[in-house]
Amino acid sequence: MSVAIIDYGLGNVTSVLGALEKLGFEGVVTDRPDALAYADKLILPGVGAFGDGMVNLHKRGLVEILNDLVMVRKKPILGICLGFQLLAEASEEFGLHQGLGWVKGRVTRLPSDPGLRVPHVGWNELERTADNLLYRDLPADSLFYYVHSFAMPADPAFTIGTCTYGRHFTAALQQENVFGTQFHPEKSQQAGLTLLGNFLKYA
Amino acid sequence: MLRTRLITVLTFNEGVLFRTKLFQPDYRYTSNYVDTWSVDEIVVLDVTRPKDGAEPNRELFFDALKRLASRCFVPIAAGGGIRTMEDVRRMMDAGADKVVVNTGAIERPELISEIAESHGAQCAVLSIDAARSAGGHEVRSKFGTHPTGLKPAQWARRGMDLGAGEIFLASIDQDGSLNGYDLELCAEVAAEVSVPVLISGGAGSWQHFVDGVKKGGASAVCTSNIYHFTETSLKSAKQFMARAGLPVRV
Repeated sequence: MSVAIIDYGLGNVTSVLGALEKLGFEGVVTDRPDALAYADKLILPGVGAFGDGMVNLHKRGLVEILNDLVMVRKKPILGICLGFQLLAEASEEFGLHQGLGWVKGRVTRLPSDPGLRVPHVGWNELERTADNLLYRDLPADSLFYYVHSFAMPADPAFTIGTCTYGRHFTAALQQENVFGTQFHPEKSQQAGLTLLGNFLKYA
Repeated sequence: MLRTRLITVLTFNEGVLFRTKLFQPDYRYTSNYVDTWSVDEIVVLDVTRPKDGAEPNRELFFDALKRLASRCFVPIAAGGGIRTMEDVRRMMDAGADKVVVNTGAIERPELISEIAESHGAQCAVLSIDAARSAGGHEVRSKFGTHPTGLKPAQWARRGMDLGAGEIFLASIDQDGSLNGYDLELCAEVAAEVSVPVLISGGAGSWQHFVDGVKKGGASAVCTSNIYHFTETSLKSAKQFMARAGLPVRV
């Protein structure tokens, strides 16, 4: 099986590659249409700002290609952190930006209450709201690593897990072939590797 | 509930891990065990000093960082000599999830904004080295050798306003002392900013971790004195913190 990590100049691709290797999968980091079309699974990684992310995807002509591969040809894709947020319709990070729009929802800033430090950085729960193939062999009390200032309350119909930091937000979702996690599975030790492996094996 | 992070700080000189007190540079030992110790996060710093005013070659450090990143599935914040976005890119390519800036940000504060705007605020960690002085604490640059006249709390505030997502605060006076963190310094800074503050310098007992959070207001506690850390001792540190009422990841 081949896995393509979408290269748009902003992801933490080294970490994702390392996790794939640990799981016994070979990943290729690419923005080439033929390589993306050839891959069985796509991963949209993310460390960065939303606006830049969309600009870079457009610049490389990836928006049209991904629309075709994901929305028409239904290739399984996993968006991680910023890659997850980019699935949304829009984000309010540094102005209002349009996203890929595959998933209903808008990315907004976490509340900055006294005593609540933002960004939300560290290990926190994933409260499951639905059963999912991503959760196979994954202990229910597993913790995951989050690092973000913005979050998306996605459509509850597709939200499969939530987290609370100041407010509820979608921590994991599945809408047909589109998967996403706000946390970083590639940085969440064994729990994260299990979840990532489930996407690669069963999605 | 968000857990209090226990962070291991690894410092490298010319690509070789430096362990305070135990002067046995053994890189493989660390990279093999750091992950299984259930450490929550790692900060790696290249502290190779410039020679004759020239920036050191960081290739050895990048190699070490790459090896660490390929084995440790926890977040890695990396720093050392970052002054330009090119430096940032190289750190990220080597496997850093976030970058730590110190002297580079003092010399050119816009560096923080450049990182935050292109990589997100969570990627920009402002490191502040502070020492006690006659009029309170003062920020020092260039490996703690150069007085800047900046007040740590004000500099942290400015850094946050420029886009820093976390403050990595080190006490020069307490570093390596094992006598505990500079809690007064940490509390001052934590009160001034709304981003997480990571306290470092001086931890010598489990109680110091608890104090760092409860009295210093830190979101994460750091230690570079890893010589006494084994699988059991990290667990026991976390158990101690849990018994003291802190949410930790056991």
